[in-house]
Amino acid sequence: MNRGMNNVWALIAAITLIYGTLAIAMGTIPGIVLSSTPPTPGKHPYSEAAQRGRAIYVSEGCEYCHTQNVRPLKQDAVFGRASVAGDYAYDTPELLGDHRNGPDLTNIGNRQSSAVWQYIHLYDPRSVVHDSIMPRYPWLFEVKAKADPGDVTVVLPPGFAPPGGVVVAKQSAQDLVRYLSELKQVPLGKAPTP
Amino acid sequence: MSVEARLTRDASEPEDAAIFSAFTLTATFWLLLATAVGLLLSFKFPYPDLATSPFLSFGRLRAIHTNDTFYGWASIALVGTAIYVAARTSGVAIVGKRLAWLSLLCFNVAAVAGTVALDLGFNDGDQEYREWLLPIKLIFLLAVALAGTTIVRTVAHRIDREIYISNWYTIGAFICTLILSLVAVVPWYQVGLGQVAVQGFFMHNAVGMWFTLLALGVTYYALPKTLNRPIYSYALGVLGFWTNLIFYPIIGAHHFEFSPLPWWFQTLAIVFSVGMLVPVWSGSANFFLTMRGHWETIRRSYSLPFIAVGVAYYFLGSTQGTVEAFRSLQTIWHFTNYTIGHSHATMYGFVTFIAWGVIYALLPRATGKQPNALFTGLHFWFATIGVTFYVLSLSVAGTLQGMTWAQGDPFIASVDAAAPYWAGRAVAGTLMFLAHVVFAYNVWLMTLGGSNEGGNYEASARKAVTP
Repeated sequence: MNRGMNNVWALIAAITLIYGTLAIAMGTIPGIVLSSTPPTPGKHPYSEAAQRGRAIYVSEGCEYCHTQNVRPLKQDAVFGRASVAGDYAYDTPELLGDHRNGPDLTNIGNRQSSAVWQYIHLYDPRSVVHDSIMPRYPWLFEVKAKADPGDVTVVLPPGFAPPGGVVVAKQSAQDLVRYLSELKQVPLGKAPTP
Repeated sequence: MSVEARLTRDASEPEDAAIFSAFTLTATFWLLLATAVGLLLSFKFPYPDLATSPFLSFGRLRAIHTNDTFYGWASIALVGTAIYVAARTSGVAIVGKRLAWLSLLCFNVAAVAGTVALDLGFNDGDQEYREWLLPIKLIFLLAVALAGTTIVRTVAHRIDREIYISNWYTIGAFICTLILSLVAVVPWYQVGLGQVAVQGFFMHNAVGMWFTLLALGVTYYALPKTLNRPIYSYALGVLGFWTNLIFYPIIGAHHFEFSPLPWWFQTLAIVFSVGMLVPVWSGSANFFLTMRGHWETIRRSYSLPFIAVGVAYYFLGSTQGTVEAFRSLQTIWHFTNYTIGHSHATMYGFVTFIAWGVIYALLPRATGKQPNALFTGLHFWFATIGVTFYVLSLSVAGTLQGMTWAQGDPFIASVDAAAPYWAGRAVAGTLMFLAHVVFAYNVWLMTLGGSNEGGNYEASARKAVTP
């Protein structure tokens, strides 16, 4: 008993035609065109360590609270110059974000260049910013009785250090901090560096 | 056959009831899990040191909250009702029951795998609402395709010549979601800013072509059925359907205003965001005009108060979305908690309330088992007060955040300004979660747990004193 199938096919065909066309026009074509945006002159790919750190950033969902998108607005000037299309040429997956429970990180490598601060802040944000609501990331660190040679030790402010040991940054923390340090805007209007 | 006759036709097919029950039961499990996670997240704002563990951290749980709400709770609940509605409006039993069961299995396998993977830190690049890894997405899409096939086959076997408007919406939801997913899932062409463009398109269409179409579709059946009168205007429903289909794909870029996406592309999105008032207002007006003059019936019903709130939030939340798209307001509200308030007005106030209303309207008819009157009232008031308080709290919080930024205050000032309202949100969230526990008990009563000796559903529903 399939007498109704003709009408169903007509409905399906109409929806597919209209929505399919619009999906290609508004999704696929902009995706293809903008994917070939050339990098901003002077912008370099991330180092290998920073790429690993970027994967940690994605895995821990940092993007849900931190944007990497400086808008051409007065209130965003504190984060750097307005972002331009070429700034994202090496950013796949894109991490523009749409939420600022914390500040924008587009240019954090320039704005907070101290790796020491970044380690302390990742271990316990409230040890350096009293009212911060950022989560702690102790699993990027380990607590050892005594640091071995070559360890990146993190000296915490009094009252925030764990009892009985030193805090040492794991490879994951080192990679993440390396990534943050490479989040630097290149100035516009300059000749590309060789 | 007249519309009235079509709407009063009812089911007595036991396996249809079993399928509908199974979809609702598993959806309810995901509702409880997703909102338990949401509740924990809301308490992490006032207590950021709460539950410090990689598996309970904000960055991982946030994606679990949104994905399980979307693809666990709302998808499974609405697909279950949509399959049932397809059968009832077609005057036949569900055609292709095996596919429906398989679809339910795939939905749940995807949700389990997605949840576990996200909690272990495996996600597809923090891309909102498409965080699940590719193989998991494909399992979900298989579930969508199977359920869609079931509905199309059922509608093809209908006894009337016309396809009832509900099925336009639900069939549209399945086709558009499959097309949309194809565009979004294929990774090869999405690099850097190109991925941003696809993300804007995807995230808004996932809401508008899937949840909106499904929720409106099942409302076009449950509302007139429960009120026992025809829908106010079939033509308004058709207008809403086509305008939703044409305008929605164009508005995605309004999530990336003031970004480096082409300026004209953003402007186009804003223009069509205004165009969205056509389907939103025609749809909500159609439902309100159907309800007009029957407020006493609505007040005494288990299901209709939920549908009434759902339609009200559809109107308010979607109109708010249009207003938010204006650049002047984006300068203040973009990136703030205001948008989280908006997403709860729509995904909760609209979509979730509609799902509840339709389940309370149709599930007792299918199983012959009724929910508890007192608990239904508690569910309604906890959820309504909860979501309203939630949206208001975050609207104020977001506005204050945006204003401290505009004033040029240090960033932490926005955290301090929002803090009291985050506490308010946690209270609202607690109320909402309690509502879900009560709902879960009612679902139990309507499916596995209750007895079907309660007699005529409508009669006892009218006798019951619901607040």
